[in-house]
This record gives sequence, C-alpha cells and structure tokens, in this order.
Amino acid sequence: MQHSLIQPQKPDPIRAMGIIALNGMFDEHDAEGVIRKAAELFGDKLAVVSSFGADSVALLHLVSLVNPDLPVFFLDTGMHFPETRAHVEVLKARLGLSDVRTLVPDSRDLVRFDPDGTLWEGDPDSCCHIRKTEPLNAALEGFSAWITGRKRFQTAERGVLPHFELTSDDRIKVNPLAYWAEADVAAHKSDHDLPEHPLFSEGFTSIGCAPCTSAIGEGEDARAGRWRGFNKAECGIHFDVSGEIAPPQIREAPMLFKKGRFVTDPFKPLGENANLKGVRYVHVPLSKVKDNLDAIRQNPHPLGLLIEASDRVEDVAEDLDRFSSVAVSFPAFGDGRGYSTARLLRERYGYRGEIRAVGDVLTDQIGFMARCGFDAFAVANDATKKALEKGELAEISVYMQPVGLTEVPVGTRPFLRKPAEPVARRP
Amino acid sequence: MYRYDEFDLGFVSGRVGQFRDQVNRRIAGELTEEQFRPLRLMNGLYLQLHAYMLRVCVPYGTMNAVQLRKLAHIARKYDRGYGHFTTRQNIQFNWPRLQDVPDILEELSDVEMHAIQTSGNCIRNVTTDQFAGAAADEIIDPRPVAEIIRQWSSLHPEFTFLPRKFKIAITGAPQDRAAIRFHDIGLMAQENAAGEVGWMVYVGGGMGRTPMIGKRIRDFVPHEDLLAYLESVLRVYNRYGRRDNKYKARIKILVHEEGLATLREQVNSEFEEVKGGVLTLPEEELARIRAYFAPPQFALSDDRFDLAALKREDAGFARFVEHNSHPHRHEGYTSLTISLKPVGGVPGDATAEQMEVVADLAERFSFNELRVSHEQNLVLPHVAIRDVRAVYDVLNAHGLAEANVGQISDMITCPGLDYCALANARSIPIAQELAKRFGTAERQAEIGPLKLNISGCINACGHHHVGHIGVLGVEKKGTELYQLTLGGDASENASIGEILGPGIVAEAVPDAVERLVQTYLGLRKAKDESFISAVKRVGPEPFREAYLAA
Repeated sequence: MQHSLIQPQKPDPIRAMGIIALNGMFDEHDAEGVIRKAAELFGDKLAVVSSFGADSVALLHLVSLVNPDLPVFFLDTGMHFPETRAHVEVLKARLGLSDVRTLVPDSRDLVRFDPDGTLWEGDPDSCCHIRKTEPLNAALEGFSAWITGRKRFQTAERGVLPHFELTSDDRIKVNPLAYWAEADVAAHKSDHDLPEHPLFSEGFTSIGCAPCTSAIGEGEDARAGRWRGFNKAECGIHFDVSGEIAPPQIREAPMLFKKGRFVTDPFKPLGENANLKGVRYVHVPLSKVKDNLDAIRQNPHPLGLLIEASDRVEDVAEDLDRFSSVAVSFPAFGDGRGYSTARLLRERYGYRGEIRAVGDVLTDQIGFMARCGFDAFAVANDATKKALEKGELAEISVYMQPVGLTEVPVGTRPFLRKPAEPVARRP
Repeated sequence: MYRYDEFDLGFVSGRVGQFRDQVNRRIAGELTEEQFRPLRLMNGLYLQLHAYMLRVCVPYGTMNAVQLRKLAHIARKYDRGYGHFTTRQNIQFNWPRLQDVPDILEELSDVEMHAIQTSGNCIRNVTTDQFAGAAADEIIDPRPVAEIIRQWSSLHPEFTFLPRKFKIAITGAPQDRAAIRFHDIGLMAQENAAGEVGWMVYVGGGMGRTPMIGKRIRDFVPHEDLLAYLESVLRVYNRYGRRDNKYKARIKILVHEEGLATLREQVNSEFEEVKGGVLTLPEEELARIRAYFAPPQFALSDDRFDLAALKREDAGFARFVEHNSHPHRHEGYTSLTISLKPVGGVPGDATAEQMEVVADLAERFSFNELRVSHEQNLVLPHVAIRDVRAVYDVLNAHGLAEANVGQISDMITCPGLDYCALANARSIPIAQELAKRFGTAERQAEIGPLKLNISGCINACGHHHVGHIGVLGVEKKGTELYQLTLGGDASENASIGEILGPGIVAEAVPDAVERLVQTYLGLRKAKDESFISAVKRVGPEPFREAYLAA
C-alpha cells in the first residue's frame, strides 16, 4: 500500500479553466465526439476503465469505433460473477478490442487485509480499495486521462458529472456517457445489436463483484443492487468531482485492537440521515435506539450500540441481545464511567457480544478495561498503537480483587487473586 | 500486622518496574509532562511548588520498625534528612529527584511499602484509629477489615478513574479518633441486637471548600457484605458523581444535590444486585486476615500510673504520661503518642534520626508496632506501663517528648505556601508562632484540651474545619490573610467550624487566638469543661465579639 498521507496536489487552475472550455464543446449526447477529442488530446496517455458490467458494452462499442487499440483496464477483483468473465471474452471478440488489460489486487494486500475473503462483508470500502482503487492507481501511472462509463442518472452523486473532469491526482477523467439516460443506453445496445451481459436479463442492471451485487426490484434505481444495505454508492475508484474522497484505509483513524492484534473494523460511522431500518455495521447511539426501537427491531442486519458516558445501560437492557457489538465511549482518559457500564453489560445483563472501548483509550487503561469486560479497543493514540503492536501493555500482572463473573471460580475465596492474562495474548 | 504474600509482592514489584520505565521515558523526553502526569500520580508522585513530592502509603497508619527505618534511610539518602507525616496517616518526602524515584520505590518494596493510590482519583489509603487493636474502648480491631478494603481497592479496575479522590475511614471504637464523618465513606463498628458486629456506614463527609458531615446511609452492614456494599456505593458514585466541575466532584456533593434518600435508594438497589456475589467475604477469609493482626503476647501485669505520685517526683514526665498516654485494652499496658509538634518545629515532620529512634523504641517496647495518627503524630501502641519511663527518657534525649497531645500546640497543619503549589498562605510559620505563644506547659495546663488546626488554603488539608479553633489562609489582593473558625469537631460529635469574621494578617493571629482562649477561660463553668464543650454550650457569639474586638 504505497499511498501517501500527504494531500494530493491541487489541480493547476489554468488546466481547470481548459477543462471548463472542453466541457462546452460537445453536444450532451455526443459520446463518440467526446471520445475522439480525448483520443486526440491524450494520444497514448489515454486509457479506458470498464467493469464489463450490464451497460459497459455501449461505451466499449463507442471506444472501438474511435480506436479499438486503446488500452482497456478490467479490474479483476477475484470476486466477479463467472458470467462477467465470459462477457469480457465475448466483447473482446465482438468489438475487436486488442488491448484489454486485467488488473489484479496485490496479493500482499489480500493476505494482510482480507485473509479469509470476507472483508466485503464488514468493510466493503476497504475491500473495494484493495481490489480496485489500489490496482487501478498503479495501472494509471503514466496515463494522463481515462475514460469511464459513468452517467448522471445513476446516482445522486453522479448528477453533476461533466464530460471532462479534472481529478485531484491531476488526471482527467472522461465521461462520454455523462448525459445518457437509461433509455439511451438501451437504445444504443439495441440499435447496434450489442451482446447483453448474461445477468442483465435476470434483473441485474448494474453489475460489480458478486458478493456486493444483487438484482433490483420494480421501480428501484439501476444501481440499487450495488452494496445493498451498505451506506455506499461508489467503489472508490471514482473520486468525487472535487477529489475529496480519500482511500478508506487511510481515512480510518482509530484501529481496532481485538484478540491480540489489530483487525479491520467492520463498523462504520453512522450517517446523519441513515435509515435505521436498513443500516448495518454501525453503532447506533443509545438515545437513538430508545427513540427508534421499532426500526431497530425490524432491521435484519448486524448492528452495534453506542453507549455514551452519561447513558444508562439499563435503558436498553431488553434489546442488548440484538446488538453484535457495544461501543462504550470514554470521552476522556480520566472519565471512568465506561468501566461500570461494561461490568453491568457483562455481569448484570449477561451480554456476550463484543464490547469495545472507543474515545480516549490509552495504554494504561487497557488492562483495567479488559478486566471490566472489554474485548475490543478502538485505538487512535499513536503511542498506544505502538505499545499494543509490540505487546507492551502497561498493565498489572496480578489482581488484588475479584471482578466479574469469571475471574474467581465459584466457591473459592473472594481474595484468591488471580494472575492477569496479558490482553495482547488472549486467544 | 499484615505480611505480603506472593501476590502483594508481585503486584508491587511489577508497578515499580513499570514506573521505572515511565520515568526513563520522561527523562529521555519521550513523554511530555502532560503525558507523564497521570502516570506519576498513579505512583504518588506530585509536582509541588519547588520540586517533586513523593507520598508513601502507610496502610491504615500501621507499620513496623524495619519500615520506619527504611523511611529514615530514604529521607537521608534521597531527601533532605526528614519526612512529613500526613493527616492521611501517610508520609511525604518533599525533595526527591525524579531520577531517584524508581529507586526509592524499589527500596520501599523491599519492606512491603509502596506509593500506589496515594494520589489520583481513586480509592486512597484507608485510614483508621491510631489506637486500633489497642484502645480500651474498642469493640473490634478494625485493621483486618481495613486490610481487606485495601486489597479490594488496590487498582480496582472499575474505580481507578472516579470523578474525584475517594477516602474511606474506619473505626472499631465508639469514640471516633479517625474523623470518619469527614470522609467519603466512614465506617463505625456496631453491635446489632443479635450481638453480631458489623458496620454503620456514613457517606458524603469531607472538608475542602465545601465541608460536609457524613450522613448515615445504612445502620448495619455485616462483615460478609461489606465489600459488596462498598462496591455499590462506589458504582453509584462512579456513574453519577459530577465530572463537570472538579470542585463539585466529591461524593459529598452528590449526596447534597441528590439527597441522602435518593442516594440510599440507588445504593440499595445496586446492593441488592451484587450482594451474595463474588465479594461476599467468608468467615474463614476474615479469620485468615485477622490472624495477621493477632494481639501480641502481652505480659500479665497490674501496673498502673500513679499520676499524683509522678507529679510530685517529675512534673515533666507526669505531663507526658497525662497527655501522651492512651488507655489500653490490656491491663498493665498503654499506648504512647510521640508528638511531632515540638514548639518551633514543623508539625508532622520527623528527621531520619528521630525515625530511627522511634523504630528502635517500637522494637524494644512495643512489639515492633508503630502507628501514624491522622493528627500527624507517631504512636507506640503497646507499651508496658513499667517501660514508659525508659521510653520517655529516650524520647526526651531526642527532642521527642513533647507532652502536648490533644493540647493547643498539637496542631494539624498543612505544608502551606512554603511547599504547596495550591496554597494561598503560609501555615507553618503561623503554627510556630502559636506554639511559641501557647506552648508552655503552664499555659496548656491552664487551657486544657483544645484542637487548633491550620490550612493554607480552602482545600483544608490542615483540617481547619474541624479544629475547635481553625485557621484558614486566604489571599486577598496579594496579601496573605487568615480567617478564624470556631467550634469544629472531628469526633463522633462531628461539627464544622463557623467563620468568626473577616481575615486578619499573620501577625494578628496569635492575639486573636489569645482573645478566644481568654473568652473561654472567662466563661467556662469549671476547669474540666473543655474548650469545645464550652463553645457548644454557649454558642459562638461571645467568641465572635472577642474576635472582632481587636
């Protein structure tokens, strides 16, 4: 992962002005004209990126009319439908594309971040990042511009898409189909008798990786089947117009320490207007849970609960089992209310899911937290991260008092003090 | 007394190693003072006005000769040859160098001592009656229970980041010598109708800027449930104590704002949940700990003091016996208080040589036992009456035979502006001036028992609120001024002193105290009506008039 934390350079304003001029040159639906201009401007510094999905054939057909030898990048995430792979071969032959390049993820990234291939489940952003964004970033080295198949109608975020777009990495993204409607695509496919993606007829109107793609129902948006249930609409290769979306791995400031190592955190921050019936892998604040009990109870997805220091765990005692993770907040190192909360969760309410400490979590507290029932720690403090990575915990090695249900076996003296197991080496 | 087992040893030496590493990182600049602060406070290391101050824990004020000798050694080797005994029955060293502190802690661990939890927002040293296990009026020796509380509270994972510090005091006697009603929790031994001994629980007492007398929250908690009950109180406090304002964060404010009834209800409902759980203290565990505190092998003796005879033979010795001895539960024995309040000295200070003298005396005459009192004196708890003369002679030869216990010159005094970063005014010079004025044997004999306490600021470390006369240092427009309070009482008849009037300058304090004393002498019914009894009988008005008459 060779990403720098340094802010990308701001685009050159003169070039930005040129882009604006370019965007005025073409009729909205003149996709072919846009591609020709791009080929003329960028020559061999131009590439095409295609998912070989449901609509890709329209763009690839137009590209082939201009120059079938343009390099076309296909992001083989390793998670595609077999139908997609077959479709790649069909289109190569049918359109005469001579330079389709398959990009694969860095195997070291897969080993490090997704050893068991389930990263998509909890953290689709990171999954896209290692499978798409990183390989593409590497492949685009040496290219000045790339052509995408994005269209304004697809999502709200894409609603402002221009033909030519200057991104924060100082490349130009070309969106020939920006103004095309769904019907335009369908008409183009039919006019030129282009082969459909095999899954299109089964209701798949937008096709990405198999785990994160589903068919859409009546009246749903074309992309509604992508990352269904996640608060996610883009995979990450398409930075927004201002280039503000940073790669997810870098955005994740706190790291989750669990079972002796840092793991990828499947939980995401809860969006402000998120639909509580449909969200997943977010910690919903206790006050929100109280106010929206029905929605929470109807929500079928994995959910977490956030308990602020001043919250009373008693208020949601009946619904605790519904949550797979409880985040207990430490607004400051010295605010010890969370310790009582965790003990109540474990000892009084028998909660067995993850209890994670979030907020001001420092080395010296972790031993205490573990004894009170915490088994995960969202760590933002660098020194603490380092200490945990090295297994150097500032913690006591013997306990002077029984705490919890399990530390002292039933029937033994309460002051049978038990040596502590270091948190870092817990199974 | 209690002896460390392998757990205690591992616990303490582990902490020493950890702190040594932290100090090294601080000295190397890897830790900023801000990052270092919570770490050093966990180990009793404060940053004072001029230097670091290390506060060493003396659990419930009990130690042996070897330990006191070690403190003497530390005073000599790492400090300026003395230490300062505190109202929390601990000892402070005022001039250690940071790089020496890990060595000091290591030396302490050699004699089963440490500085853990002598600062920070955690459960502090449990304090008790300095005559525990010796006093004639005692129902039970509170030290086994104090030790059990010490163990339970040591680095308690739930209660190490409380809203504020938390102090527990415990007494096994009906006469309260541990000021239990001025602690966050006060425990007083009680016998119930069935003849079982348990604990009456007071909560929410304290001094500081908002003095409060502890309120009775529960009449009787049996031994076996005591820890469960304490955990219930602490949990309610940890969850609901104020954290928005450090001056309103003690449990006394929670009691005051929520009301005793509400707090009691919360504690009771918590107690119902935790009662009968892992904290239930089995009788055999109590017996195991109690064995450490088994009374020494007292000799059979019917020796008594003949004070009248002593007075004829040696007035000085007689005064020492009269004031500094305390009735012992075993016939033929007494508890001797060694006053650390010599006229012109610094209250609570002891030099390394004095500590060694006292350690020797403890070994020779008090079954190797020593106590620190919350009045900042040392105690030999078990001295045979026939040995008192020998003890007195040794003390006398080392300037430790001041016969002023419970008298006006036996003042509790905080370090004040001479040492403390928080103080508004000096305390020690005031104490010295007052001792000079009132400290002669004749004057003290005339005045009788009178507690005079001095604090250099509103934090009240010198317990001025409970002085029969209290002196409080304040700062007005850059000048050190002193307010006098009247009628405070730390005993079982707890009361908080009333401020008599506007502050006065340091030079005027001895005269003002003089006027209060003269007022008392003029209105007491008889020579045996003590100052505080007279104040409680007539009220503050005559004293207020005298105070304002200057």
